[in-house]
Amino acid sequence: MSADQSGSGKAADSREPEKARHQGLYYGWYIVAALFFATFLAMGSRSGFGVFVKTWELDWGVTTATVSVAAAVGWLVNGIAQPIFGRMTDVYGGRRVVILSLLVMSVATVGIATVSNIYGLIALYGFVISFASGGVSPAITGVIVARWFERNRGMAMAVLVAGGSVGGLVLVPFMSFALVEFGWRTAWIIVGVLAFGLGVPMLFFIVRSKPEEMGMKPDGDESHDSGDAEITVRPVGPKYVEKWRDSFSSMPIWQLSFAYWVCGITTASISVHFVRWAISEDISIGTAALAFGVLSGINAAGVLVIGLLSDRWQRKNLLGAVYLIRAVAFISLIVLPGPSAIWAFAVVGGMSWLATVPLTASLTADVYGVRNLGTLFGFANMAHQLGGAAAVLLFGWAFTAWGSYDIPFAIGAVTLVAAGIVSLSIREKKHSVRYVQVPVGGAPGAKLLKQDGD
Amino acid sequence: MASPFGTPFGTPLGPLLHHSEPIDPTLWEWLSAKIDHVLGLSPGVMVLILGTLIVLFPIVVMVVALRRRRGLR
Repeated sequence: MSADQSGSGKAADSREPEKARHQGLYYGWYIVAALFFATFLAMGSRSGFGVFVKTWELDWGVTTATVSVAAAVGWLVNGIAQPIFGRMTDVYGGRRVVILSLLVMSVATVGIATVSNIYGLIALYGFVISFASGGVSPAITGVIVARWFERNRGMAMAVLVAGGSVGGLVLVPFMSFALVEFGWRTAWIIVGVLAFGLGVPMLFFIVRSKPEEMGMKPDGDESHDSGDAEITVRPVGPKYVEKWRDSFSSMPIWQLSFAYWVCGITTASISVHFVRWAISEDISIGTAALAFGVLSGINAAGVLVIGLLSDRWQRKNLLGAVYLIRAVAFISLIVLPGPSAIWAFAVVGGMSWLATVPLTASLTADVYGVRNLGTLFGFANMAHQLGGAAAVLLFGWAFTAWGSYDIPFAIGAVTLVAAGIVSLSIREKKHSVRYVQVPVGGAPGAKLLKQDGD
Repeated sequence: MASPFGTPFGTPLGPLLHHSEPIDPTLWEWLSAKIDHVLGLSPGVMVLILGTLIVLFPIVVMVVALRRRRGLR
């Protein structure tokens, strides 16, 4: 175990950390703002792909199903990229990874403008952009945030994750209007130039992989000068390990990954099949869009509330509750008539849609520390993406076979209940550094601390 | 629109809210028309408004952050 590993909670010495005396906002929040913008660009441009589908169909004389190959390839490639970038983050630091990833992504985004057929699109979007965007995903940016925040980790993660939502809500319309005004090639060039000209410099000038690079401590704490030597020991938890592989010999990473896999199954399936379900229930597209607008508002507020609460309550309880709430939303799609179901789903599902990301990332950091967080959360993200890809296919086959989504939705609800139970069974008070801190070998002032927490 | 496995792209807000799956083109077409109807602004004006917001955010953050870093020294 390393003495400089950062976890959540209090300093390992018996003295309470002192808040930074210097005035102004803690610098970690500027890191969050910069990563928020990078996430905004990365997720926004990936979401914006759908805006151009019909244009490409007309330009290249291909079907939507053909264009969808690029999206499907991108989904899988993005999932595979997560643990790779996660490992790179742990080894080389998050700053290098996010800057390089956004740089490659911005160049490739401009490159989309030169594409003249579906093969070029698959190569650039399916492989290059989707792979590079894995380096700007919450699996990577979350690691940086986790190093800068301990006590406010949940809230900081929630704000970061919200960047993806805002990216979709702002950048997708922007790309759409740019498409109408200037044409699709210029629209991609504009987004690429924005990422290259603003996103990359912003990351370069603002982001540092960890607070120690700026002579700071997580949360803006200042270490006490005892007169002898500055104590730099950070608290470590009982599950902190030197090698990431060792983490897989303990239960929490499997519990978190399983639950996150279910998260992928349920969000991806809804994202892809919602329109078809609405049509099968004789619900208009306008109503479907409006219902998701409601879901949007509830979700945006919900994720910030969850982030705030997660810094005060046990995260596993919130995570379990989020999955169970989503299970209720899925059940409502089965038991309620279509027009009622869609609104029930919007309200109930909205409370759970995004909250799993900051909770899973924070809990992983609390249990295993931040040294291997990129790799571990990268694996969890890969499970999420692969689960999502499989679910999209299986939901499609099930609808083709039975002409109804009832059985797939029932399966989704069952997996969500299982994810909720598994999340609740995580022994956070036994494994998390927020509740149990162990001595660091020979460190001055280090002693076993056990706190009741909430 | 149809692929063997249903619509290959996500709904506009589903992916926007959770992950980065591409937006559903059919739903986006509907939403886009609604936005045009409600706001009544030309695409060029919308590009200008949204573009200004997108450009301003990082510039403001960079200026404030760099001033903050200068204050830390």
